[in-house]
Amino acid sequence: MIGLDSVLSHSSLVVTRKTGNEYVLVPIADNIADMNSVYTLNETGAFIWELMDGKRTVNDLVQALALEYKTNIETAQSDVLSFINKMKEYLIIE
Amino acid sequence: MRNYNLNIAGYIIRLESSDEAPDLLPAERFQGNICQSEYYDVVIKVHHGYYPLPENSERLFVAPYPADIKDTKITTRDNFWSVYRHQSGMFLTTNFPANQNKTAVLKFSFIIREWDLWIDGTDASTDPLEYPLDGLVLYYLTVISGDIMIHASGVNLDGHGYLFSGTSGKGKSTIASIFGGSGARVIHDDRLIIRNTNGKYYMHNTPVYRDDKPAESIINRIFLIEHGDENKIVPVTGASAVSLIIANCIQHNYNPELIARFLGAVSIMSTVIPVAKLHFKPDKQIIDHILENE
Repeated sequence: MIGLDSVLSHSSLVVTRKTGNEYVLVPIADNIADMNSVYTLNETGAFIWELMDGKRTVNDLVQALALEYKTNIETAQSDVLSFINKMKEYLIIE
Repeated sequence: MRNYNLNIAGYIIRLESSDEAPDLLPAERFQGNICQSEYYDVVIKVHHGYYPLPENSERLFVAPYPADIKDTKITTRDNFWSVYRHQSGMFLTTNFPANQNKTAVLKFSFIIREWDLWIDGTDASTDPLEYPLDGLVLYYLTVISGDIMIHASGVNLDGHGYLFSGTSGKGKSTIASIFGGSGARVIHDDRLIIRNTNGKYYMHNTPVYRDDKPAESIINRIFLIEHGDENKIVPVTGASAVSLIIANCIQHNYNPELIARFLGAVSIMSTVIPVAKLHFKPDKQIIDHILENE
């Protein structure tokens, strides 16, 4: 269960490439039938992704997002948790 | 023949029959690619018989049979072809839809340019690059060279190259035919290899059909196509452009280093060549629409 105190890092099951302020994520696959999954992260997603360094807590991400985009904590928390839920397959809980 | 060279998309592939192997009989679609050359990108030594994979080989990637292969009845759905690794050796095993008694094992490498191919279940002569081996060999040559293999048609109209990419049913053949009917040179209508030569990107055809001849063109624009109710061009850039292109590329994503290299190649290309989504109606007006929006 991921909570505000959880510390997350990137799974080695995905390869990333930064393009401008965005990311392309390609999952590693062992079957050609699984080759359709390609993800893009917009600027906000890229900001959250880069902060998932295996040291910062989820709460640290929320605070950083709120500060960077000058939004309230509730909105930032919702955005971060939503992002984590979408990308949880490619995240590791430390 | 005991040996011959193929020039496909600028790759020189030399095929040699070993002493015990049957004669090599390239399919008609390869006739336009046979060439003389002292240099080669890869030499494939063809052997006869069954080759057992080394014990404890690790299967890295598997492809089931496609849903539809023209004129072929598929009785089993799984294990069309697979990629294995054993220590530093890479192996590709495959079946052949058009010849279901025939199997093959290709021992290949990302570094060494001498590969071995064992073919089992053949007659006195055999096509060493029967489908799907042709596409698989070409795919790994693109991987080694940092090139891109993509589901796309391509045309050259008055010196300008347009690449139209999309999966099956998106209109690749349709739009190539429209341009071809207006005097454009059609490079291919289904599958292309993109190579960067001296800083410029070129699209090359590969022998798919009986009458295919080697063809290439510079690429000036890349369109990701769909049928639509109106002609419409929507430019895409950055991560969106990269992800849309790679979704149409041939890729075996079992190796992080290969993925990273491939992502890099597509990313750089999409910063050099304008990329756009193209919704089109299947008539000649799409040509004017593209030319008016250069």
